[in-house]
Amino acid sequence: MKRILIIDDARDRAAWLKASLELAEYVVAGVLSWEQVDERSIQSASADVIIVDANAPGRDTLEQISLMSRTLEKPVVVLGGQKDSQSIQAAMRAGVSAYVSHEVEGEDMSGIIQVAAARFAEHKRLRDELKEAKSQLHERKLVDKAKNILMQSRGFDEAEAYRRMRSMAMKKGKRMAEIAEAIILSDELGGE
Amino acid sequence: MKQTDTTDPVLPMASAWISGSDAPELKEIRVGFMPLTDCASLIIAHVMKYDEKYGIKIIPSREVSWANVRDKLINGELHAAHVLYGLIYGVHLGIGGQKKDMSVLMNLNNNGQGITLSNQLKKRGVTGGAALKNLLDSERRDYTFAQTFPTGTHAMWLYYWLACNGIHPLNDVSIITLPPPQMVSNMRMDSVDGFCAGEPWNNCAIYEKAGFTVATTQDIWPDHPEKVLGCTAEFAKKYPNSARALIMAVLEASKYIDDMANRRKVSEIIAGKAYIDCPVEVIDQRMEGKYEDGLGRKWNDAHCLKFCGDGAVNFPYLSDGMWFLTQHRRWGLLKQDPDYLAVAKEINQIELYKQAASQVKIAVPEDVMRTSRLMDGTIWNGHDPQGYAASFEIRA
Repeated sequence: MKRILIIDDARDRAAWLKASLELAEYVVAGVLSWEQVDERSIQSASADVIIVDANAPGRDTLEQISLMSRTLEKPVVVLGGQKDSQSIQAAMRAGVSAYVSHEVEGEDMSGIIQVAAARFAEHKRLRDELKEAKSQLHERKLVDKAKNILMQSRGFDEAEAYRRMRSMAMKKGKRMAEIAEAIILSDELGGE
Repeated sequence: MKQTDTTDPVLPMASAWISGSDAPELKEIRVGFMPLTDCASLIIAHVMKYDEKYGIKIIPSREVSWANVRDKLINGELHAAHVLYGLIYGVHLGIGGQKKDMSVLMNLNNNGQGITLSNQLKKRGVTGGAALKNLLDSERRDYTFAQTFPTGTHAMWLYYWLACNGIHPLNDVSIITLPPPQMVSNMRMDSVDGFCAGEPWNNCAIYEKAGFTVATTQDIWPDHPEKVLGCTAEFAKKYPNSARALIMAVLEASKYIDDMANRRKVSEIIAGKAYIDCPVEVIDQRMEGKYEDGLGRKWNDAHCLKFCGDGAVNFPYLSDGMWFLTQHRRWGLLKQDPDYLAVAKEINQIELYKQAASQVKIAVPEDVMRTSRLMDGTIWNGHDPQGYAASFEIRA
């Protein structure tokens, strides 16, 4: 169940939006005016999606809050951009903030939120994957370096060096990278 | 994306740049701007038809937030924009949002922003940075300072100035972001103690007796870079002739505005409802370099808003772009050191700019770096950015 926070100074519009979202069985966690927007009010709504008006100058306020407190990074659906569906699609493809028209029907809204939320998840997943890939590369470099140290200092061949590190890792219940790090450190210590 | 009008405008003069292989690929260029004094060159290029001279038509689009400027650049609703230098760099590196390759076509202006403190602080005896620091130390409460965008120029000027006065912007005070037109009203309601923003809002605070100018940004860095003409890398690559024509039109407008004799007229134009929508006087004083700080001091500022300086203002120096990266790093917006030089080279379109500048007879400096001295005496010349970023005692 997606929890939604609406930030809008136009109270009637916010009420319409809230009603149509609740009709689609979403939980509207809160409706805020821009004046009420600060770190605390965003935090306490604990929403999954934030819906804001594209024409609200306060959007920059929200940028600061979500950037400075990463836990508050949320998908933001921005209402009131261009009307034609092409630009909506382009915005959706573009990622986190999605521009949609004010004239969107209540039923469409659920789809939009799903898309916005899915986009956001995808963006986050890609970012996490990149982080993961980078750390994997780093670990592989460590293992290679440790392997070379063993080959040079102990005269093992490559397979033997690798086998010994792996069995040590299994015995100690540690990751290969951790074993590699220990070998590199002790080699550096011995070299001083 | 709709292309409504692709017919040729009536061309006042023929040039190699508007016909043949150099003809602009795209004739109507939607350019976003925020209602700030330093949007002037874009507006003048449009109003005085410098755009048509180079075979393009600038469609100015008044925007309400930097977040919207960014989103519209990314999704193509805008082709280019008057935009904060640091914002373009932030988007290129994916700080706090979607990552998208961006381009800086030229720098639009130097100087002309300011830091305003509230008259409430003045009543407590604060008229400068040292006194502010003393008050913070002696009277504990939550002090709030506002800037205009987390990765933007005003955030960096504000943080730099506070840090120079021994105040840690992230630990000692609360920082919020506000739209520039709301700065003064927030100050009047005592919800901010100080702000950093572009003009006319600092001058406006004095007019409305809400605050005083404690420092201009040229006090922090004389002739600092500020707004740029920004676009996506995709736009610059797909429409190089249009991008070049846009630079040429804005350069000519910049030259026109830099003649102090034209400034009054420029102020009158940009004060209009469709642009900044503000009394002419509030804009024009500082536009003409006539400063008052709201504490009784009056001066003619040699480093007031500059738009051209025979190209010294507009050249997209790599060292200027890199400076914003060093500050993003300093304040933890970047978790690691980027390849400063490589990033600046990717973003700042030196070649495109050079071609455009040479066509309109604007001088191009030989070096892509420049040397600047900031308020604390530190020298920034683009060398050793990593060391520079790490050199500040007060940092995230």
